[in-house]
Amino acid sequence: MAQETLRPTSQVRVPARRSPFADLGSWTIFAVVLLAGWEIGSRLYNQPYLLPAPSQIIRAMGEDYALVLDYARITMQETVLGFVLGAVAALLSAMLFVWLPKTIEDFLYRIIVTLNSTPFVALASLAVVWFGLGITSKIIIAGMYTFFAVLYHTHKEFISVDPMREYLMDVYNAGWLQRMLLLKIPSALPIIFTSLKGGVMAAVNGAIVGELFGAFEGLGYMILDSRYVGNTVRVFLAAVFCTLIGWVLLGVVTFAERLLLPWHVSMARGKSS
Amino acid sequence: MSAIVEMERISKAYEVARTPGLLGRRGADRALDVVTNFTLAVRQGEFVCVIGPSGCGKTTVLFLLAGIRDPSDGRIAVCGKAPADAVRVGLSSVIFQQPILFEWLTAEDNVLLPLRLRDPRWWWWPPRRARYQETVRQLLRTVELEQFARYYPDKLSGGMQQRVAIARALTLNPQVLLLDEPFGALDEITRDRMNLELLRLYDERELTILFVTHSIEEAVFLSDRVVVMSRGASARTGSSIVREVRVDLPRPRRLALKEDPAFFQKVREGRAALREAQVAD
Ligand SMILES: Nc1ncnc2c1ncn2[C@@H]1O[C@H](COP(=O)(O)OP(=O)(O)OP(=O)(O)O)[C@@H](O)[C@H]1O
Ligand SMILES: [Mg+2]
Repeated sequence: MAQETLRPTSQVRVPARRSPFADLGSWTIFAVVLLAGWEIGSRLYNQPYLLPAPSQIIRAMGEDYALVLDYARITMQETVLGFVLGAVAALLSAMLFVWLPKTIEDFLYRIIVTLNSTPFVALASLAVVWFGLGITSKIIIAGMYTFFAVLYHTHKEFISVDPMREYLMDVYNAGWLQRMLLLKIPSALPIIFTSLKGGVMAAVNGAIVGELFGAFEGLGYMILDSRYVGNTVRVFLAAVFCTLIGWVLLGVVTFAERLLLPWHVSMARGKSS
Repeated sequence: MSAIVEMERISKAYEVARTPGLLGRRGADRALDVVTNFTLAVRQGEFVCVIGPSGCGKTTVLFLLAGIRDPSDGRIAVCGKAPADAVRVGLSSVIFQQPILFEWLTAEDNVLLPLRLRDPRWWWWPPRRARYQETVRQLLRTVELEQFARYYPDKLSGGMQQRVAIARALTLNPQVLLLDEPFGALDEITRDRMNLELLRLYDERELTILFVTHSIEEAVFLSDRVVVMSRGASARTGSSIVREVRVDLPRPRRLALKEDPAFFQKVREGRAALREAQVAD
């Protein structure tokens, strides 16, 4: 912070605060060029089974929209519930870790690290075995993906608060909860949001993986089913909707970040402090 | 009159951790003696400066007085209490080398922090909340930052940030103020202004001040007594304190004093003591 003022102004990048719609134009051009290229390419290639054209995907959407939207709703539901549960569990666990005695914290932490390095797909297939083919197992898998994406960085941020700030809280006799609410959580929030953004994408992945392992509905099921019958167009259609779900949820998290972090320097300036 | 800050034959050694090597740990645990045989008594209302070369343990002394570290040996008391207790009930207060403001709180909320921590239910009781906010407003007026109450710290200059930190340190109305090179990062003109402001607060609030600095001029200008420390114990005194220079210049102090021969004389004395401190290590 103090160094910031010492730097010559020419080196401090201060982009004007931009509205979220500012670069809508360039994105539109990008999308149009990409889609046009894809359309032309796939028509020249002419193998719809391998590479369907965007127009074919849109036509399939027209035919199947009721089913696709219903499946998208189901997957979205699993993703959102899993994300919320996983994120809340991760934040509470991170707080719990800080609260626990050092040796127990260490022990639990080792468990987390071990689980984290186990392939999630293996854990996901177990969840389907344990919780059945319904929506519950998908929520749990999405939640698990989120949990690991959020917990590690949040906990690390909680324990690496500037010691001088901790001394300041000591000096003013802060209790555990006060320290958490007034120091640790606010100073970890930028990192928490970054990991939540990762967590949201992980949740989409988790829900799809769960559906691939056994389900009767949802976009993952649609991918699996369409692939068996050789309907590549519908695989693409499902994939497009998975991406859309990810974008929508990412937008929500980013919006919450803007709302909650007005002080956060990296949003107003370049990433500098 | 008895002393309000007392340090009697204080020693502090830091455990220096063994260097972790690739195959197990190499080297032995070592204790680093930073402060040795440090004796200091500060009377109520006295302004004492501690100077010394970098790394001689000035911050360590201050941390001992703030209860952030415990001494390895010796007796220490602030306002007749253990330092950690004195600072927790607000009898003493610390200002660090950096302002340490929370960037998610406005200037006024930063100043409010000590009250908020002492009284977690402050928000639910409107009259008390109003009283606290009035206290904060007055403190910000004292450090001439009234118009900047709603500013976030990153929109304030270094000097303004340190003034917010001073206001925060005064929130619980302490008797003893402990400062660790608070103006070290500021330019000379700002530093002079801050010094005058500090002297005004010292008068108005009848504070007792222990002020760490590495500038002899600043030390002489501010204090009644300059304690000169050396890195490691001095061979002559057998303690971290090489010499004490009594500064019997009249108060109130004005900037014109810095042109006075008597001021130069004291600065010369201090500089000689500091040279001795350098030789000691
Ligand atoms: N937590 C610690 N563990 C081990 N050694 C420490 C620790 N804190 C300080 N030291 C050592 O103690 C010595 C004195 O440190 P201190 O910060 O008190 O010096 P200082 O006089 O304040 O220096 P400066 O003028 O640079 O601020 C240094 O050699 C430092 O390396
Ligand atoms: Mg220091």
